Amino acid sequence: MRIAVLIKKILQAALFYEIWDAMKVTFKHMFHKPITFQYPREQRILPDTHRGALALLRYDDHQERCVGCDLCEAACPSRCIKVISAEDVTRPLQRFASEFYIDITKCVFCGYCVEACPVNALAMTKMYEFSTHDKRTLLFDKKRLYDIGERHLDDAKKYLYAHNQEKNVEESREYRYYFPQSVLKPTQPPPKHLG
Amino acid sequence: MGLKSVINSDVEVATIELSIDGKTVTAKDSVSLYDVIASTGKIIPAMCYHYTFDPFGSCGMCLVMQEGKKSPVRSCTAKAVAGMVVRTEGEDLFLARKKALEKHLSVHPLDCPICDADGDCELQDMAFQHGVTNLPNAKQKFIPEDTRSPVLDFNMNRCIACAECINVCKDVLMIDVLQFMKKDGFNQVVPKGDVALSCEFCGDCLAVCPVGAITNKFSKYLYKPWQMKKTTTTCNFCGDGCQMHLETKDAEVVRVTSPLSWKNKWGDRADTAKGHGGLCVRGRFGFEYIDSQARLVQPLLRKGDQLVPTPWLEAMHVVSERFAEIQHKYGSDAIAGLITARCTNEELYLFQRLMRTGFKTNQLDSSARYGHLNFVHASRQALGIGRSPNDWEELTKAKAIILIGSNITETNPLTAVRIKEALRVYQAQVVVIDSTVTNMARLASHPVLINPGTEGVVIDGLIKASLELGLIDEASVGKYPQAFEALKAAVSHISLEQVEAQTGMSVDSLRSTAAIFAEAPRSIILCAEGIVRQANGYQNVLKLIDLAWITGKLGQPGCGVNTVTEEPNEQGAVDMGVAPEFLPGQASFNDQAARERFGKAWNMSLPAASSGANLMEILKRCKSGEIRALYVVGENPLATLPASMEVRAALDQLEFLVVQDPFLTETAQMAHAVLPACTSAEKDGTFTNLEGRVLRVREAMDPIGESLPDWHIMTALANALGCAWTYESSNDIQAEIMKLLPGYYNLGQPRKVVPVVDPYLSGSYASEVSARYQASVSAPKGPRPFTLLMGQVLYHSGKLSTAAPGLIKIAPNTGRLKMNPQDMERLGVSEGAKVRLTSDSGSLQLAVQADQFVTMQTCFFPEHFNEPPVKDLMSVQIDPTTGVPSFKQTRVTIEKA
Amino acid sequence: MAFEDQRTTVYKVDPAHPESETLPTLRTEELLLNMGPQHPSTHGVLKVILELEGERLVKSTPVLGFLHRGVEKLAEDGTYHQFIPHTDRLDYVCAMYNNFAYCRAVEKLMNITVPDRAEYLRTIVAEVQRIIGHQFWLGTQALDIGAMTVFFYCFRDREILLDWFDELCGARLTTSWYRIGGVERDFTASLLDKLKQFLDYFPPKIDEYIVFLEKNRIWVARTKGVAVISAEDAVSFGLSGPTLRGSGVDYDLRKAEPYSAYPKCEFSVPLGKNGDTYDRYWIRVQELYESVKIIRQCLEQMQDGPIMAEVSSVTLPPKERVFTNLESMIQHFKLFSQGFDAPPGEIYCGTEAHKGELGFYIVSVGGGKPYRLKIRAPSFIHMGAFDYMSRGYMIADAITLFGTYDIVMGECDR
Repeated sequence: MRIAVLIKKILQAALFYEIWDAMKVTFKHMFHKPITFQYPREQRILPDTHRGALALLRYDDHQERCVGCDLCEAACPSRCIKVISAEDVTRPLQRFASEFYIDITKCVFCGYCVEACPVNALAMTKMYEFSTHDKRTLLFDKKRLYDIGERHLDDAKKYLYAHNQEKNVEESREYRYYFPQSVLKPTQPPPKHLG
Repeated sequence: MGLKSVINSDVEVATIELSIDGKTVTAKDSVSLYDVIASTGKIIPAMCYHYTFDPFGSCGMCLVMQEGKKSPVRSCTAKAVAGMVVRTEGEDLFLARKKALEKHLSVHPLDCPICDADGDCELQDMAFQHGVTNLPNAKQKFIPEDTRSPVLDFNMNRCIACAECINVCKDVLMIDVLQFMKKDGFNQVVPKGDVALSCEFCGDCLAVCPVGAITNKFSKYLYKPWQMKKTTTTCNFCGDGCQMHLETKDAEVVRVTSPLSWKNKWGDRADTAKGHGGLCVRGRFGFEYIDSQARLVQPLLRKGDQLVPTPWLEAMHVVSERFAEIQHKYGSDAIAGLITARCTNEELYLFQRLMRTGFKTNQLDSSARYGHLNFVHASRQALGIGRSPNDWEELTKAKAIILIGSNITETNPLTAVRIKEALRVYQAQVVVIDSTVTNMARLASHPVLINPGTEGVVIDGLIKASLELGLIDEASVGKYPQAFEALKAAVSHISLEQVEAQTGMSVDSLRSTAAIFAEAPRSIILCAEGIVRQANGYQNVLKLIDLAWITGKLGQPGCGVNTVTEEPNEQGAVDMGVAPEFLPGQASFNDQAARERFGKAWNMSLPAASSGANLMEILKRCKSGEIRALYVVGENPLATLPASMEVRAALDQLEFLVVQDPFLTETAQMAHAVLPACTSAEKDGTFTNLEGRVLRVREAMDPIGESLPDWHIMTALANALGCAWTYESSNDIQAEIMKLLPGYYNLGQPRKVVPVVDPYLSGSYASEVSARYQASVSAPKGPRPFTLLMGQVLYHSGKLSTAAPGLIKIAPNTGRLKMNPQDMERLGVSEGAKVRLTSDSGSLQLAVQADQFVTMQTCFFPEHFNEPPVKDLMSVQIDPTTGVPSFKQTRVTIEKA
Repeated sequence: MAFEDQRTTVYKVDPAHPESETLPTLRTEELLLNMGPQHPSTHGVLKVILELEGERLVKSTPVLGFLHRGVEKLAEDGTYHQFIPHTDRLDYVCAMYNNFAYCRAVEKLMNITVPDRAEYLRTIVAEVQRIIGHQFWLGTQALDIGAMTVFFYCFRDREILLDWFDELCGARLTTSWYRIGGVERDFTASLLDKLKQFLDYFPPKIDEYIVFLEKNRIWVARTKGVAVISAEDAVSFGLSGPTLRGSGVDYDLRKAEPYSAYPKCEFSVPLGKNGDTYDRYWIRVQELYESVKIIRQCLEQMQDGPIMAEVSSVTLPPKERVFTNLESMIQHFKLFSQGFDAPPGEIYCGTEAHKGELGFYIVSVGGGKPYRLKIRAPSFIHMGAFDYMSRGYMIADAITLFGTYDIVMGECDR
């Protein structure tokens, strides 16, 4: 038995068995599909849940969803959101965010703001390519956030759906925020689900 | 609700024992069971309860189990009865409370995201605490929001009908402008008569609203509580010195909240005597001047006709060099200084130190000169006390209050609330003597309407009536028989009928007033602008002291002669020695010992004794060219004094005028250099209020623009002039004041002062007194039939509040003269018609406005506005003793234009 | 400071031969060598000051704090809920386990029972995270010593799981998937499929790693008998996890204080004998097999059900209720703006992370924020034994030592 092992070892040594063995692995991998990919040319396919750049959304009639309740600001663990709310001059008694800033350099992409938003005005998208030469451009303002929302609307809606924030499109329409009415203005009929 | 709050110390109440959660508790008979439970430290949820008023019992949350009853009872409306056995905790009670809560929640809208009360809402807290989830049959109300009022919005969807707003308005403030009304099928809070809300706008209803049903229009939708920094500071509008919470977001003041709020609902009812914690319209809604666009953000230097923005360094160079030059060229007395009493104690102290040791002159004055010094001098002369002797608690608990010459609801609204409480809770007899139908007169037990300008005669009448009726305190007058005889002789020529003819106050009324005052165990006299800002103010205050003396009220606990101040720190200005006659601590400027003490402390010899000039004298010297340079801190004599004073001419004469102010005032527009100063929200310090409390002012935000606190600018200026001051914060100055005036910083609790009348009454009193009562023979009724009164209105304070857009929105400058409708009818003018107003000093045209509370033969214009320049019709009378100018009243003719 | 100790020793030329005493003695000095904080094998920014006697380590002093971010202090500033994303950044390689340990601690404080399904989900993801952690350790430790291939193999397989995480919660590393009272999101069918596929794919790969390493004589020589620590010493240094079990101490919190779905699964805890680096390696590899076993069992046993506890004062209501129901909206607003009101008290809760016992100590004085939060990070505790375990070994073994603890500086410095 010991002699057999010894002979085998000698043979292996003589025939560079270990090298052949290793080369076998190498050869095998020549026919594998590579697991790396060429990044800028090839893009990763991201799941719907992916927590990318934040976006602000509008309703189908282009009304801003955000009512400026500042809850995202309270929920943010890295305190990167700043909301300045005000009464909409054109529509009395309607609250909206006159300014909305997200400091992306501070953002940790935890998605808590989306979870906090009581009107689903915020969503995360699959957009992750916002590297820049100028750090100052990473302070996303309201316009930029709405732009992202417009460009990545599908992603955003899929995100909300994937994270159980919204059941479907129909429902999101129904959950639209109902503002108080003024005695000075004619009252619009209340939404269906509240009536 | 049938429950009398038993807090009146004069009423004897039986003490009872009852058992709460197995513990025996003693309490007063018939008080609210809730109060008894709260006094043991147990907190039962209650949404409609507030300690400042009687329990209402609408929310149904304060349920407790009383032995012998099957279902829980509402503890707030239940009376504590001897032998009661009460349980306050338990699963059944929790569920019962939860059920009561669900009733409110099921009709509440989903407004949290946009509601201003979110995060600061009792309904939220309760729902969260009680774990209410998934209510069936939730149904919203859909009541449109009432946005008609300029200040408050009522969203009755959110209302939980707790009636705290109604109760606080009715019981605490006695304004009573809100009511419940069944509308659209719901019980709603509406302004009485369901019209746009128009009231004193104190906003206490907003403060006690536990939900977002009442919201503030000026901060609507601008904030959530977690975004804001809350700073407790002292209000900058009047001498009441109310504490308030300034809530700021970055460099923006978002809102002002008061210590009175639904959150502080547990308290001892008797504590409200010290103040109920509310604010007035100015404090609560007048914050917008702080971050106003009109604020100065850079120093300005005059180049030709223009004021050009200049960097601080250059501006300070110019200012200090010019001052030094003038000092060198013309001597120290070519420079004078004026400061406003809206500055902190530290700044006032520093100002007088700068004037006396930096500029080496005693020509300095503060805005306390406009009236308060009349009171201070009189009170010091007679009693040795340079301030009001009584605090709010004594005022509240007084049994008789004579309010003479004061429209207190408009000038000092929170002191007025104390008098209201005295009326309502302590059943005080309140005599209001004024020439207009003031708000307080409408509430008072004994309102008296007198002819304008006859307050002094009324006092004569009261003294005479006291003597005639024998309401004399033998013990007090017996000590000074000589003085008493002199007084008796002095008033011997007065007859009550004559007084009635002059003043319009009937003899009966004079007698009953004198009797009320003399017979009450605790009686207080409160005199204000009608006395101290009028001619003979000094003498009239002394007369009031005479009245208190002969009736034995001097030095008695809870009695005294008081005043109220218009600006927040007029008392502090006097205490800090910002007057040519005073050194800090109200030491006389000529007092050798004090001069030595301060000279040593400041390491400098003081200007010569008896030198110096007060406000009027300074203006005179400016005009004559004796004074070449004037340093004005926050003061605005040009807009305050009538044209007859020729302030413009006086200032035009100056070689160098420096104005240090947060705003570009009329005076600042004439200046050679304007230095931007901070408002009180941007600096630390203290104010001394009318009770003598030293109250903290705290920095709520960074200074706006390049503006700097006044103490900072003054320190820099002093150092440029060669003083070596090392103050780095207002604390350093405070430390110095503490050393010089030990005990001045009394941590909000003024030391009790005991009047010392001996030197006054046994001194020169007898020789002076006859002249005092001679003076008030009668103001001749000239050919001008009307009296023009200028005064403060509730919504404004000085000129400062006109920089707050919110207050201007509530009370804009209408430019209209207020007149009695009957007078208008007589003159044949209708609302808005133009009239010509002519006085000895001039004449102008303006529109009129009917106001039923203005008495016949008088007309009123608010002193805060100079457009049209009604103030220029006034003539100025200067008090010979105190140098106080009075210019709030004059005779005019009114003709249809 | 200890490393400035300038003591010199008298080195005898040959201590074995007494006659050398007659020779004049040479005064020699120890060499002080700074290793790190920019050294690639220090797994972050660790600096160690090595005192060398020739090539032997006499004393080594780890200098910590280069990655200190004040995480414990940050916790005092936010609500309990807001701290979860901060825990991601403790041991950034294994965020899930940090989330898990933190959530367990808060649940213990709030006395919340997590629903069954959530417990299974948590266990599965925690074990997936353990696999990722061990793969990461295996790859980098081998790479440090010089075996490069394993690194690529491990990272290749780890990638599958990271993508799986991405699909699960939206991020590969900073996951924040655990919630106080449950988990954020349930498995979808696709996630389950992918996980099952991985479980079939993975065990042969472990065999492959073993072949690569154990046939590598250099690697074996550099791990066997290196950094030996006895069972008593390991216990007294407070070591935990594989570092402790390598010395043969049978202590695993999953068995000792069973939590989550672990008591419902059968698995064994591998133990070492010698307490050397090789034993610790062996334990970690065996744990990979055990993890696969646990995941399989969990997947079998898991039933449908809620994934969040419903305690209205602590856990968030489902989003659709927030839109339609005032009570839920209030709950939502209160929880996000003020957090839940924790009872006053203090608790400690340790969880068996792949590195060792990851514990959270929370002091609450009531209110929505912790008064103090202390993290018992295994990496930090293990660094305490570094000096003791390194003495007498060659300088090159310092690298093995870093590796053997599986330190991550994010957790160590916090």
